[in-house]
Amino acid sequence: MRATPIILVLLSLALMVLHKADTLPVERFRAAMMDAMSPVLTAVSAPVTAVVDNIGGMASSRDLKAENIRLEEENGRLQKWYEAALKLQAENQSFRELLNVKADPTITFVTARVISDAGGSFVKSVLLPVGARDRVQKGNAVMSGHGLVGRVMEVGQTSSRVLLVTDLNSHIPVILQNTRTKAILAGKNQDLMKLERLPPDSGMTVGTRVMTSGDGGQLPADLPVGTIVSVGADGVWVKPISDIDTLSYVQVINADIDQTLVNGDISPAAK
Amino acid sequence: MIGQWGLVLLAVLVLLLLSAIPLHIVHLAEIRPMFMLMAVYYWTMLRPTPVVGVFLLGLLLDNILDYPLGMNAFVLLLAQILTTHNRKFLLGQSFLVTWAGFAVVALGAGVLEWLLFSLFNFTVIAIKSMVLSVILSAVLFPVVVLPLAAVNRALLGRHHDAP
Repeated sequence: MRATPIILVLLSLALMVLHKADTLPVERFRAAMMDAMSPVLTAVSAPVTAVVDNIGGMASSRDLKAENIRLEEENGRLQKWYEAALKLQAENQSFRELLNVKADPTITFVTARVISDAGGSFVKSVLLPVGARDRVQKGNAVMSGHGLVGRVMEVGQTSSRVLLVTDLNSHIPVILQNTRTKAILAGKNQDLMKLERLPPDSGMTVGTRVMTSGDGGQLPADLPVGTIVSVGADGVWVKPISDIDTLSYVQVINADIDQTLVNGDISPAAK
Repeated sequence: MIGQWGLVLLAVLVLLLLSAIPLHIVHLAEIRPMFMLMAVYYWTMLRPTPVVGVFLLGLLLDNILDYPLGMNAFVLLLAQILTTHNRKFLLGQSFLVTWAGFAVVALGAGVLEWLLFSLFNFTVIAIKSMVLSVILSAVLFPVVVLPLAAVNRALLGRHHDAP
């Protein structure tokens, strides 16, 4: 057998090990590759996604009527909430002024469509066609319409990669809505995520909403992440609030993140 | 000559895109068919395919799909070596044998990837997606082979025309 194939096989193996050991200075290269593929992926994925979505959306007119009625009712309810929210906002504002509260920085975000999504149970990440030029930073929170879906893990000039909350490497500091118990929400490369580092004797109930706690200053606080669906001997499992497998448009929250915290490198000359 | 390479590159690009773009068919999102593996297997069976090309293709795929760098290269190379070894046998057989051969290769690739990933993350990853992906790839193989064979014929045609 010729030597070249064997050498290349061993080389790939070596690359994998090095990658795992995190010693490869590949970030710039990966970022450049992302930027290079981004335009092509954007151009191709748009029509394909449109076609697929249309096929999926061909509902019978009866379904459409029922959906219409449901939406009108929801709209009516939401209108009332909107008015209540406006009143509360005004009240809040006057209290803040009375107490001389330091205002939170305004949150800006950029919306982008997912252009690459490998799927599968090995990797849970997606590619977005926005990058450093759009003020995207490593560590930024990424939201769907309903809640947190991931965090930016790599940034190129014009593209970036998002680690979804269901990925094995995703650990989010969270807080439970009613009990205010804090925990870590860990992805398991499956549909559901697991709550870890729970204080003992925390009364978990199915249906509790899980939000980001903002601990560590990495992610904004009070972003919905999911709801508890199962409590048992094998742990507490949380279902993401958004459908992670069919993400289309997402928002990247522009917030200045302390990059030393993201990189885990606390030496003074970091980057 | 440029036309040949252009055609191959175009085919490869299409396969890459098929491997990466979002498919919002619910439940199908989890089990993407192994398009790149089909190409490597089929083309290697028909003609000598450059090993370095497959290696680089694997790396590119790793980069786009956010796999550990080298994983797809590793799996595709092993598939190529295995197929090359059995070329003589495979070439003389009916399509059904070719198809069965791919099913074996796909299963091997799936199991290998699953093992490597589980090993790398010190955990056992759910095997269901991998199994479904292998089955789907095997089922779709005859469909994907048609354009692959067309590319191969076009390459052969050009070869004959060249002085």
